Amino acid sequence: MKNSENEYRLEMSGISKSFGVVSVLKDVTLKVKPGEIHALLGENGAGKSTLIKILSGVHHKDSGTVRLNGEEINPKNTHEGQVLGISVVYQELSLVNDLSVAENIYLHKLGASKFWMNWDKITKDAQELIDSLGFTIDASAKVRNLSIVQKQVVEIAKALSEDTKVLVLDEPTTVFDPTDTKKLFDNLFRLRDQGISIIYISHHLDEIIKIADSITVLRDGVDTGTMAVKDTDTDGIIRLMIGRELKDLFPARNVEIGTEPIFEVKNLTAKDTIVHDVSFSVRPSEVLGIAGLGGSGRTETAKLIFGADKKKSGTLILNGKEIKTKSPVDAAAHQIGFVSEDRKEEGVFLPLSIRRNVSVTNFKSISGKLGFINVDNEYKKVLGLIDKLNIKTPSSEVDVKNLSGGNQQKVALAKWLSIDSKVIFIDEPTRGVDVGAKIEIYNLINEVAKKGVGVVVISSDMPEIMGISDRILVMHEGTIYGELQKEQFSEENILRYSIGKALKQHN
Amino acid sequence: MALTLKQQLSSPGGILKFLVKYNTIFIFILLVIFSALISDVFFTSVNLSNLLKQVSGIGIISIGMLLVILTGGIDLSVGSMVALLAVTFAILINLVILPLAIVLTIAIGFGLGSVSGYLVAYQKMAPFVATLALMTIARGLGFIYAKGSPVTFKTAGGVFMSNFANNSTLGIPNIAIVFFIIVIATMVMLRYNVFGRLIIAIGSNEEASRLSGIKVNKYKFLVYAISGALAATAAIIVASRTNLGSPNMGMSWELDAIAAVVIGGASLNGGRGTAINTLMGVLILGLIGNILNLLNVPSYPQQVVKGAIIIFAVLLQRFESK
Repeated sequence: MKNSENEYRLEMSGISKSFGVVSVLKDVTLKVKPGEIHALLGENGAGKSTLIKILSGVHHKDSGTVRLNGEEINPKNTHEGQVLGISVVYQELSLVNDLSVAENIYLHKLGASKFWMNWDKITKDAQELIDSLGFTIDASAKVRNLSIVQKQVVEIAKALSEDTKVLVLDEPTTVFDPTDTKKLFDNLFRLRDQGISIIYISHHLDEIIKIADSITVLRDGVDTGTMAVKDTDTDGIIRLMIGRELKDLFPARNVEIGTEPIFEVKNLTAKDTIVHDVSFSVRPSEVLGIAGLGGSGRTETAKLIFGADKKKSGTLILNGKEIKTKSPVDAAAHQIGFVSEDRKEEGVFLPLSIRRNVSVTNFKSISGKLGFINVDNEYKKVLGLIDKLNIKTPSSEVDVKNLSGGNQQKVALAKWLSIDSKVIFIDEPTRGVDVGAKIEIYNLINEVAKKGVGVVVISSDMPEIMGISDRILVMHEGTIYGELQKEQFSEENILRYSIGKALKQHN
Repeated sequence: MALTLKQQLSSPGGILKFLVKYNTIFIFILLVIFSALISDVFFTSVNLSNLLKQVSGIGIISIGMLLVILTGGIDLSVGSMVALLAVTFAILINLVILPLAIVLTIAIGFGLGSVSGYLVAYQKMAPFVATLALMTIARGLGFIYAKGSPVTFKTAGGVFMSNFANNSTLGIPNIAIVFFIIVIATMVMLRYNVFGRLIIAIGSNEEASRLSGIKVNKYKFLVYAISGALAATAAIIVASRTNLGSPNMGMSWELDAIAAVVIGGASLNGGRGTAINTLMGVLILGLIGNILNLLNVPSYPQQVVKGAIIIFAVLLQRFESK
C-alpha cells in the first residue's frame, strides 16, 4: 500500500498520564497511517487501555498532543471522539440488553439531531451494515437474545456506523471461533483497504503477525518502539513486551508434589451455568492451571465448587472425605479459598482499610467470647501479612481503594492466606497488575503451594499459566476438554484444546 | 501515617480539611454557640434536659436505623413500630409485672423486626418495600389494639416507669442515659465486635462478603430484628414519659431517624457510618427544633430549615470524599 511519507492519520506524541500518584503513561508516542492495521501490544497493565481511553475521550491526558489528520484534537468525552471519527470497541461489551440491535447501533445518535427517529430506516441501515460484515444477525432482535459472538459483532457494527477514521479494537477475538475470526479479519482488511486506520489490541501474537502492518509495544507505561511486522517475529515481540526473558518472570518450581490428591471434583454439573461433567483433582503443593477461552466456564467452575453458584450434581472430596459446599460459608469452613477475577466488585472491600479487609475471613482466630476482637492480635496478624506479601502501604489503616491494582490483589490474596486454606482457587491472579507485582504474586503462589496447599489458577494469560502451573486443564464449552502435562505446554496446544480440537500429532 | 492534630491544622488548607472531616461535630458546636448567643434560655438546665428528653426516643431508633443503613438497607417501619409497641407496652404493663412487660415488649419488637429481616434477607425483597409494608401493618395494628384511643398506665409499674422517664440522675435525664448507653454499646460493637465488622463489610460490598464466606443473610436478618428491638426500647421510653401508649406516636419518626443518620455522614449505600456521628446527627436535628422553638419560629418554617441543614450537611460530606 502506498502512502505519502510522514503522512500520519493519527499522531499521539509525548502522552503522559497519572492517576493520583500512579504514573500510567510516560511520554508515549503512537503514530498510525491511513489504511494501516497497527497492533498495540503490551502486558496487562502496560497502559494500552489508558492510551486508547485518552484517544477516545474517556480519560484526559496530563501532557502531550494528539493530532488527527494533522490537526490537534482534545476530545472531552467519548461523544466528541466519535464525532471526530474515532470509534472504539472495548473488551467489555457495552450494549443495552433491552434494546434492539439497530437501536444499539445507532444509540449514540438518539440524543442528537432530530426529535423523531425513523425506526424503519434505522433498522434497514443497521441490517445493511451487519450484512456487509458477513454475519447473520436480525437487526430488529433484542440484544439480550444474542450470543456473545453476535454481541461482539454488534459492537463492531456500532463502531462502524459513524464515519470512522480510526477504529480501535480491544481483544476482539477472545470469544470468536476460527471461522468468525477469519470473517473479522477479512472485514478488517476490507476496512483497511478503504483507508481506515485500525488500532488492534491483542495478546494473540500469532494473530498480530498475520494481520498487522506495524506494531507499537508498551511496557510499564513507556513505549519501547514501533516497527514493521515484517522486520520482527514472536520472540522479538515478547522480548520487547516483558523486557526480559520469560524465565526470569516465573519462579522456579522446585517443590515435592504430593501423590494423593488433596481435593477431587467428580462429575460436577451446574444448575444455572454451562458447566457440566467437570472432573479433576489437585494434589498437595501442586499448582494446577485452568485455561480456556472467555465464556468456556472456568470462572463458573470455581464459583460452583466454592458454593457461589448452584450445583445440579457431582461430588467434592477433600482429603479423602466427601464434602458439601452449598454456599461460600460451607466452602470457607472447609478451608477452601476463592480469589475472584473481579477484584473490585467481588474481591476486596474498597472503602475499608487493609486491616478490615484482611480480617474478614479470619475472625475466628482473633476474636474471643461474644465475638469481641483482640485488636492487638489483629494488628499483629495483619502487619505480618502486609510484610510477608510486601503490600506497599504506609499503614494497615489505608483504605484499599487508594492502593494500586497489584497491591489490591495482594490484599485479596491475604484474605485467604490469613486462614490456613487447604485449596485456593485464584481467578486471573494478575489481571491489571504491573510486572513487578506480578512477579511477587507468582512467588507468593509458589510459596503457598510449598506449604502443601493445592493451588488452582485460572488464567487467560498464556505465558502466565504456562509459567506457573505444573499441569494445565483446558476448558471448552463448559467442561474440561483436555489436560496438558508440563512437557506439552505451548500456546498452540492450549489454543487447540480451547477451541475443541485435538492436539497436532508430532512424529 | 496518622498526622497529629497540629500537623493537620498547619498543612496547606489544613484547617478547612479538618473542618470538613469532622463536619458533623463542627456543625453541632456551631449550633450550640449560635443557640447560646441568641437565647438566654438555651443554656438553662431545664431547657437542656428537655432537649435531651425530646431526642432520646428518636435517637434510639436512629441507632437501629444506622445498623440497617450500614448494611445498605433502610427501615421505614420504625416510626409505626414505636406506636404499636408503645400501645403494646401500655397494655402489658396493666396486665403483668413490670420486668416481664419490658422484656415482652422488646421481644415483640425483635419479632416484628425479624419479619422485615426475613423478607429482606431470605426472600430478597427490596428493604424499602418490605419495611414500607411493615410500616402500614404496624400502624394499623396499633390502632386496632388501642381501639382508636390511647391506653393509659394504671398500675404501680406504670407509676415507676413514669417517674423513671421524667427524672434525672446526676443532672442527666434517665432516658438520655439509656440512649447514651445504647450509643456507646453500638460504638464498641462496630469497632471491636465481629458483628459490627461484618455488617460494615456487607454494606461496603455484599458480593465480596458472600465470597469471603460470610453469612450475609443471617446478618442482614439480624440488623432488622435489632432495629425492631430498639424501636421497642424507644416505645417504652416515650410511653413512660407520657404515661400512656398511643397509636399516633412516632409519626414520621423513621424520616427523622434517616435524616439523623445521613447528617451523621453515613452512606445510604451502606458500609459507612458511626454511632457517634449518628448521635451528633440526632443532637443537631434536636437543637434546630429547640432553638427555633425558643425563637418562637412556627413549625412550618422549622421544617424548611431542617431540610436545608440536611442538604448542607450532605454537600459538606461530598466535599470530604473528594
